[in-house]
Amino acid sequence: MDSDAILSSSEDMHDANDVESDEEGFYSDENEVASDYNTDDDDVDDYVIEEDEDGINMIQARRPENNYIVLKELDIKERQEDDITSVSSVLSISRAASTILLRYYNWNVSEVHEAWFADEEKVRKTVGLLPGTVVQFAKPRELMCGICFEAFPRSRLKSADCGHPFCFECWEGYIRTSINDGPGCLMLRCPDPSCGAAVGQDMINIFACDDDRCKYSKYLLRSFVEDNKKTKWCPAPGCEHAVNYVGDNENYDVSCLCSYDFCWNCTEETHRPVDCNTVRLWILKNSAESENMNWILANSKPCPKCKRPIEKNQGCMHMTCSPACKFEFCWLCLGAWSDHGERTGGFYACNRYEAAKQEGVYDEAERRREMAKNSLERYTHYYERWASNQLSRQKALVDLHQMQTVNMEKLSEIQCQPESQLKFLSDAWQQIVECRRVLKWTYAYGYYLTEHENAKKQFFEYLQGEAESGLERLHQCAEKELLPFLNADGPSREFIEFHTKLAGLTAVTKSYFENLVRALENHLSDVGCHQAGSLATSSKNGTSKGKGGRGKETSRAGGSSRN
Amino acid sequence: MANSNLPRRIIKETQRLLSEPAPGISASPSEDNMRYFNVMILGPTQSPYEGGVFKLELFLPEEYPMAAPKVRFLTKIYHPNIDKLGRICLDILKDKWSPALQIRTVLLSIQALLSAPNPDDPLSENIAKHWKSNEAEAVETAKEWTRLYASGV
Ligand SMILES: [Zn+2]
Ligand SMILES: [Zn+2]
Ligand SMILES: [Zn+2]
Ligand SMILES: [Zn+2]
Ligand SMILES: [Zn+2]
Ligand SMILES: [Zn+2]
Repeated sequence: MDSDAILSSSEDMHDANDVESDEEGFYSDENEVASDYNTDDDDVDDYVIEEDEDGINMIQARRPENNYIVLKELDIKERQEDDITSVSSVLSISRAASTILLRYYNWNVSEVHEAWFADEEKVRKTVGLLPGTVVQFAKPRELMCGICFEAFPRSRLKSADCGHPFCFECWEGYIRTSINDGPGCLMLRCPDPSCGAAVGQDMINIFACDDDRCKYSKYLLRSFVEDNKKTKWCPAPGCEHAVNYVGDNENYDVSCLCSYDFCWNCTEETHRPVDCNTVRLWILKNSAESENMNWILANSKPCPKCKRPIEKNQGCMHMTCSPACKFEFCWLCLGAWSDHGERTGGFYACNRYEAAKQEGVYDEAERRREMAKNSLERYTHYYERWASNQLSRQKALVDLHQMQTVNMEKLSEIQCQPESQLKFLSDAWQQIVECRRVLKWTYAYGYYLTEHENAKKQFFEYLQGEAESGLERLHQCAEKELLPFLNADGPSREFIEFHTKLAGLTAVTKSYFENLVRALENHLSDVGCHQAGSLATSSKNGTSKGKGGRGKETSRAGGSSRN
Repeated sequence: MANSNLPRRIIKETQRLLSEPAPGISASPSEDNMRYFNVMILGPTQSPYEGGVFKLELFLPEEYPMAAPKVRFLTKIYHPNIDKLGRICLDILKDKWSPALQIRTVLLSIQALLSAPNPDDPLSENIAKHWKSNEAEAVETAKEWTRLYASGV
């Protein structure tokens, strides 16, 4: 379809050829970013993208698996039981008492020990664990229940450690009411208002019905997760796993067994490399503006040339109007697609609000003018890109699934290749999904970069633009250029070229995003730390090294823009 | 009728309320509903409510004594913990309720609340503000209201 449009620039060609290249090839690619950059000699000369020997493995290296443990319900129970047993044996108290203590100290075993051995009497008093019976009764064989005021033989009365007697029926009513009132039942005390003796699980087990006992255990389990400072529920709807965070660095990205990825710290979806606070502000902003922004999520826009409404049903932002018009444009800025990317000599600028504003994109529609009046114009720019990448990611997730469950098998038959040879397809889609996520959050980041951080902003927008343009090429290739092969009757040589190109775009896009992520995680601290001269030096090295790394492969990739 | 299977506890409490009333408090069940009580509390001496007779209604819900009784002032009263519908802000009527408490203890607590208004935990925002900014004046208003609405007619 549009393959020639994508791979027509010389940069693209060696991008694509990095596919099966060795380490050196990767270095050349890294430097490529710098040298591309250098050709745009205007306003952004002061920065350098550092070479980093480990750059390629950066993302993996910063995500150690052992930062967290996903707990299933049984794991949670087991841990809770273990903690109860351990406290109970160290302090020589009953399991019910140990449970009461642990709950009070947020299930922190060492805090329980510390407090207990520092001042046992005080701890006992606070949580209501009395050292022995407080109320002594003389002889009488019958006593009055303190709730129903009936007299009962002693054998028909029961009390907590304090000795205040209540009949079985009243205990049942008292405990049922408390459990049905909610998790406060975990802190139940003797009914006598002046007493305060704790009523623990041992009493619950005697007097509660099966249903209520079950509820009580659920509350206990919930408390173990929710009151524990190191454990949180997975926020995915319907998921009942918890995640125990054991890391001591600032990397909170966790991935639940249900396959939901989220930030353990703020429990929003994974938002690396953007920090939790930015995410919080952004989400607040979005909900405050949601009424104004609904129209952005509309799925159709008029073609900027013929005004016919075009529906967006694909993930990438490259739109092509109906056959009668064929105008190719960008979904986000409605500009001609031919202006996107390096072909025109300028760098990718669709991500930049200032550029869009200068070109008057935001003056055209009346709606936009209205937005400007409400000073929403700037926000609109970022929000639309954030939301579009979100939608695009959702689409890509579906496509990835389709690829893994249906298309790989189908292609394997048509192209007579084992499925193992087609892994590059799911790799590409996985990369697209991850990149859409990162890109999305960089728009929240961009929104909060202030005007006075101009140098940082330009550097950021440069990196973001590179990454975005790479991703658009990758997404388009994976989405559209695959179609003919899926509908073919048999194997074709072009499929090998397609393989080379897609794998190449995957690798290139990956490294663009790694650059972007790394720069944001360093808070763009490279800016200003380097002399203007270092860019030239570094890119000179890079270019020569890069050239050495290419060669034969280049012509192969060049051939892939088959015309 | 609902009264036929009235719990023994309610009957006992009622008997005791009638036979040994707490000083300054009277509570008697309505004739057609033994769970509904007409209550009178005398304004405590040395309080702005002194000399007043305050009518309240008290109802024992089905869950009583596992759930607290429902009580409200019928007589208008100027008090930071009582709103204009007569609802009372008192912990034992809410989360501090215990089935070992009784009608008697509840009414004694309400009587004590008249002696010691607590503007830091208000139900009537305006009255509480008045109480904190100018207690003497607020007390005067409370006395005035007592004279106007609770003069025992
Ligand atoms: Zn007790
Ligand atoms: Zn009883
Ligand atoms: Zn989950
Ligand atoms: Zn977060
Ligand atoms: Zn058109
Ligand atoms: Zn655009």
